[in-house]
Amino acid sequence: MRKFSFILCFLFTLLLSYSLYAQTRTVKGKVIDSEKKPISGASILIKGKTQGTAADAEGNFTLKVPEGRVQLEISSVGYLKREVNLRPDESEVTIEMRSDSSQLKDVVVTALGITRQAKTLVYATQNVKVSELTGVRASDNVLNSLQGKIANAVINQGSGGPGSGARIVLRGNRSIQGDNNALIVVDGVPIENNTYSAAGGTFGSIQGSDGASNINPDDIESVTVLRGASAAALYGSQAGNGVIVITTKKGSKDKLSVNVNSGAVFESAFALPKVQNTYGQGNNNQYVDSLFGDSWGAKMTGQTYTNFLGQTQKYAPQSTNIKDFFRTGLGLNNSISVSGGNSKAQTYLSYTNNSIQGIIPKNVLLRHTITLRVTNQISSKFSTDAKITYINQDIKNKPRTGEENSPVIDIFQIPRNISLAEAQQYQSISNVGVPNPNPWPSTLNSIYQNPYWMINNSALNETRDRVMGFLSAKYQITPWLSVTGRANLDRSMDKLTEQYAQGTLLWANQAGGYFSQTNIVTTQKWFDAIFDGSNKITENFKANYHFGAIYQDNKFDLMQGIANGLNVTNKFSLNYATNPALYQTGTEVQTQAVFAQANFSYKDAIYLDASIRNDWDSRLPAPYAYQYYSVGASALISDLVNLPDYISFLKASLNYAEVGNGGQFGLLTSTYSYSQGAGNGFLSRSTTLPIPGLKPEIVKNTEAGIEARFNKNKWGFTFTYYKSNSFNQLLQIGLPTSTGYARQYINAGNIQNQGIEVVLNATAMHSKNFNWDVALNFALNRNKVISLSPELKTVYFGDSRAATMQIQEGGRYGDLIGFKWLKDSKGRYEVNADGTPLTSYQTGDPQAYIGNFNPNETVGLTNTFRYKDFSLRVLVDGRIGGVIVDGTEMNLAFSGIPAATAKYREGGWSLGGVDANGNAVTTTINAQQFWQTASGKRYGVGDFFAYDATSFRVRELSLGYDIPLKNNLFIKAARLSAVARNLFWLYRGESLLSIPGLGKRKMTFDPDMSLGNGNYQGITYGTLPATRSIGVNLQLTF
Amino acid sequence: MKKLNIFSSPLLYLLFFVTIIQINACTKDFKSINTDKNTIATIGPAELPFLFSKALSAAPHDMYNYQVAQNLFADQYAQYFACEATYFPSDRLVIRQDWVGAAFDPMYTDVMPQLQSIFANTDSTSAEYAMASIWWVYTFHRVTDYWGPIPYFQAGKVSTPSVPYDPQDQIYNDFFKRLATAVAVLNQHQGENHFGSYDLIYGGDVDHWIKFANSLRLRLAIRISKVDPARAKTEGEAAYAGGVMTLSAPITDPTANPGGDDALVNRSTKGNDGNGLSIMSDWNEFRMSASMASVLNGYNDPRVKEYFLPAVNTNQYQGLRNGLSVNQLTQPANNYNNNSHVGKRWSSTNVTDINGNVTGSATSLSTRQNIMCSAEVYFLRAEGAMLGWNMGGTPQTLYNQGITASMNQWGITDPTAINNYINSTATPIAPGDYLNSPPMTNIPVKFDPSNPAVQLEQIMTQKWLALYPDGQEAWADYRRSRVLKLYPVVNSDNPDITNTTTQWIRRIPFLLSEYQTNGAEVNKAVNLLGGPDKVTTPLWWDKN
Repeated sequence: MRKFSFILCFLFTLLLSYSLYAQTRTVKGKVIDSEKKPISGASILIKGKTQGTAADAEGNFTLKVPEGRVQLEISSVGYLKREVNLRPDESEVTIEMRSDSSQLKDVVVTALGITRQAKTLVYATQNVKVSELTGVRASDNVLNSLQGKIANAVINQGSGGPGSGARIVLRGNRSIQGDNNALIVVDGVPIENNTYSAAGGTFGSIQGSDGASNINPDDIESVTVLRGASAAALYGSQAGNGVIVITTKKGSKDKLSVNVNSGAVFESAFALPKVQNTYGQGNNNQYVDSLFGDSWGAKMTGQTYTNFLGQTQKYAPQSTNIKDFFRTGLGLNNSISVSGGNSKAQTYLSYTNNSIQGIIPKNVLLRHTITLRVTNQISSKFSTDAKITYINQDIKNKPRTGEENSPVIDIFQIPRNISLAEAQQYQSISNVGVPNPNPWPSTLNSIYQNPYWMINNSALNETRDRVMGFLSAKYQITPWLSVTGRANLDRSMDKLTEQYAQGTLLWANQAGGYFSQTNIVTTQKWFDAIFDGSNKITENFKANYHFGAIYQDNKFDLMQGIANGLNVTNKFSLNYATNPALYQTGTEVQTQAVFAQANFSYKDAIYLDASIRNDWDSRLPAPYAYQYYSVGASALISDLVNLPDYISFLKASLNYAEVGNGGQFGLLTSTYSYSQGAGNGFLSRSTTLPIPGLKPEIVKNTEAGIEARFNKNKWGFTFTYYKSNSFNQLLQIGLPTSTGYARQYINAGNIQNQGIEVVLNATAMHSKNFNWDVALNFALNRNKVISLSPELKTVYFGDSRAATMQIQEGGRYGDLIGFKWLKDSKGRYEVNADGTPLTSYQTGDPQAYIGNFNPNETVGLTNTFRYKDFSLRVLVDGRIGGVIVDGTEMNLAFSGIPAATAKYREGGWSLGGVDANGNAVTTTINAQQFWQTASGKRYGVGDFFAYDATSFRVRELSLGYDIPLKNNLFIKAARLSAVARNLFWLYRGESLLSIPGLGKRKMTFDPDMSLGNGNYQGITYGTLPATRSIGVNLQLTF
Repeated sequence: MKKLNIFSSPLLYLLFFVTIIQINACTKDFKSINTDKNTIATIGPAELPFLFSKALSAAPHDMYNYQVAQNLFADQYAQYFACEATYFPSDRLVIRQDWVGAAFDPMYTDVMPQLQSIFANTDSTSAEYAMASIWWVYTFHRVTDYWGPIPYFQAGKVSTPSVPYDPQDQIYNDFFKRLATAVAVLNQHQGENHFGSYDLIYGGDVDHWIKFANSLRLRLAIRISKVDPARAKTEGEAAYAGGVMTLSAPITDPTANPGGDDALVNRSTKGNDGNGLSIMSDWNEFRMSASMASVLNGYNDPRVKEYFLPAVNTNQYQGLRNGLSVNQLTQPANNYNNNSHVGKRWSSTNVTDINGNVTGSATSLSTRQNIMCSAEVYFLRAEGAMLGWNMGGTPQTLYNQGITASMNQWGITDPTAINNYINSTATPIAPGDYLNSPPMTNIPVKFDPSNPAVQLEQIMTQKWLALYPDGQEAWADYRRSRVLKLYPVVNSDNPDITNTTTQWIRRIPFLLSEYQTNGAEVNKAVNLLGGPDKVTTPLWWDKN
């Protein structure tokens, strides 16, 4: 019977084919996904016929089809079924498959690298497309490339040039004196992501780089953002701030492919202060002398004068003397990766070379990254995975941030009539070959120096060697239970050197110059063992669970040698130290944990999730242990109830989670530390009272979400509401110093963040040649400081020069207070008898609320268009609300540099204010009187310089072209793209004050740039300008 | 398959696993892991000398505290220097509480715990105990002379965040007792050396500490001479009788111990132990005051070359008035290049004249810092003699000896020059400043033969010149005596001082941080003050 049917079938087929094959043709095709990657194993059928074939590993297929018009049906798991019409003359076809968004996020990498089906999760996650990170890359830090793509992420770029640490805060700030940065996890293990010396005030710092900037975007396979604590509970510690889960690439099976990615990006300063170009150096509308640095002088009309170098020059505007100081930096990125193997062993090998010039002359980053990953399937039950990454990073001539003799604030101070050609004559060489600074018209020659001196005669270098490696082994104990053991090591060896030639203000205060070298070794050891099981208890009731143990040990060792004063002038080595000084410090934190997590499902539609974790933390007092847990549930309503047809998918979820954090190293006992000084040096008791009863911090987090998709998954959204409260925060509070201690730590406080997030994905238009996808994210976060402690009601950050960051009970995290222009009870501006504004700085009143630096809402919108082989992606993002105080403008306004200071130079400015008795004051003033009242230069009235930081911009734009290639070519795929970041502003906020006679001023700084990536935010002061980058990128696959 | 059955319950597995881990969680090293290996946990005899050094270094203000603790306040109120920076309102009498706390907090956190550790770990009859006790008085008399009532008797004894303030008369009473006791103890150790090189003032020489303690006792006696004349006389005469500083040796190398009796504390280029006046001199935020210019130029005082550098632009010793407004400060005449920088010993090699010649010194950071000098003691004795105390000389001889000691101290040893100065009838001149100020006063150097009022002003004026650059003592002395005729500040931005000729800064208001952390006790302290917590309320010993 079987034979018969076979024969019959054969005959039938033969007959059929014969009848058609009288006129058949061969079609060659390739099946690819939306990222142009081949889809292997896709099935291709002739519609209405039984003939068909499957695509090979490269997505290629060959199929004999009848002459004339033919319709092909292509299907593959995870993709939407497609039908393609072939014209009679078509013999080659490339078929692009669209992901089935119901399956798109099917598998998500969650905590500890555990992969789970998306629909089983009880909390919100968001994936970022890797192509969006590697296409238009922020040249220096992959975190900056996430800007605008993640709902409820506020990302700030550090001010230290290429490689600067970035700040990424998910769902608002929750820690007052601890870390607010999201945890970065690579391949299941948190990486060290510390930044040295982030600026804590407007004086600035040498902003270090962070750990995240060492992640090579080309090695990334996937990025998942776990915003809530529930998603992250299994990480303990800093996971309360959310987690960025990065998974890197593995070798592929049964094929060898080589990828080359080359990019070149030009970067230029994007947001610079707007300056006046009418009045030159001088005071009270008159030229004073060549060294007087303020620009309150006469009108520049090309008069002849003798400049600071004794040369005869024209007193004429140099309108580009700030802009032209910054160079166009070139960022080059070249990476090559080789991936291949067989079913038993796979290898991935990559090398990436980054060479990035900063916009500050001489500032360069050079980085080499080598990664080798080997995966082995040793037996059907036993597999191993091993990876090693070596990074060598060299950053030369980092600019200082902030005020203290940093090139940015120095160049901003340049008088409006001094050309860069004059400024470049910054030194004279003495007869013994020692450079001496030439005179320089400084607005304050104790801290502001010719920036060219700073660039050429000082050097802040940072070298990092980092090795990260892991070895993991998985054993399948039974079909339903496996165990994975993992050992992970991460060691960074950093060398930081600072050198300042003799004559460098502030820093070289001893003869011969200054040199210091700091060696920092950071080591993280991580070992874990995780059991992974799943059981079908009944047909409808299934369990999936993990449990295991983690050991983590983090060490930080710092050695510093300082040569303040060099016996041989400008010989920058410790060997020449006049007074060699050594300093050493170190910390170690060890945590051990056991955890269990289980997910129960009923009918694959209702899920219940629970986790529990116990930590032993060396920072805590004995018995060191504490516990926290999470519970959650979700339901696939679309699978449980009959919904209207247009609803393709509907899921609701709810969860509650706690995350604990052990605090800080070495707080339990009092210590005496040694410091160098006269005689034999000193011993000083720590001025912080120990806290023997230290408790862990706890973040409690509730989250509810809905995920829905409509019209056959054509569009959908996720909506999430969350509320998190941080308790038992480790706060440093002031003690009356007469106790002998200046401060103590307490566990107290309740800081609440709540908000919503909406992520919307839609295919707006789709046809054979054209596709338009829209992705939108929107979030709002509301923060409230519910309580601090009975002893402490307010915490201040930074100095109080432009504004002070304040955290006050009843207020919000990130409130800024500053001195104000006083108003009377009727809301009228008060002025002094001489007509100048009356400010609380003059009256000695305390600083008062100006605004809060956090955005109220954040939005990101990505539109992706594809037409044939062209694709265009545009990311527009923005922030609504938030106030930032422009300390840079405050500083410059005193010296008559900003554009706004040009008006009313000759006087006649009436502010229309009233005196203390409410009588109108008609005395007129001039611009210099006004601005020097608003700003005392380095200390001022923040009110005048506060800006609404609302802004929208075209963040990223990429135009790609997939070069059509013949199949038999050596090159399998090629893509060329033009990319741009920070293209232009769509909207910029204005100053809060509308000054009578002047109105409001437009913001000139970029609110995403910050002095440092610590908790001190919301105030600019000599912050490095943001950059606009434009470049090209070529991707080749062999 | 059967044998796997017992494991088929995941819960059992979990329980088993967690139990194993619970037992094995290895926490026995946690205490040592959480210990900072670069610090010391406990204090023993070997550590005490280092604590003493720290106390000696911190009390006259660390390098970076000096500006905010002293220079922006007392040094300006004493009119040694005037402010050049437009952004510092303190010269216009505004109290920036966040700055002036630097004269309070480190005394309690960087000096007091160190001294209390020495008290706790030594016998009260030991020289170490006595030397620490003398330093305690030096430290806290400067604190109470800023604020009046301060936390004193209970300071450092309680761990609860609340420390009571004590009235200034009781604090002074304790100062006198401590100094008398310390001298009695040290007299038993005469000729000995304690703390050796860890003593950054006298290298461990006990005999010098006796002179220092008696001189300090005399300073405090004169301080209370208006409020408690009888006690002042008793303490003052006992102090003189016990032996005070008499010998000033020339400072030829500002970084080396000059010998003689003068108390100067070593400074170092290492760590943050530099001379505070030196580190801030590079910042161009202060210059010579018009008061100093008027008197030093008028007297043709040879010390001017030690105290100041000629102005870069004019090569003259030029000063500006205290309390100039922002607008006045931006006038070219008030530019720092048109006024005199602090003297060479405190100026670094970054300080150059108009031709680019280095006018500073390569060792400025390690310039020793004045604690108390013999010249001051002669002037204290001169004043005591005027009050009828037994001070071993007449006001005039002691006055002349004071001038001589001061000249010697600053390296002026030519007897003819000193003699000419002492007999000079030149008077202070108009400083030629932006406001065309008149001369500060009209008295000559030559001691007035008859008029006690003039004599007293001469003593106080020469003492003011001799105390330079210790503005903290000079300001206290000015408030106590009100004899020195300083210029009124040009502008007051402090609403409590509306008339700068009849009102002056008489104290520092209690710290905002104290109101925040020790509020109840500060409020009680206001009652001890006998007036509102303002700059205009006089201290206990201020009877003007």
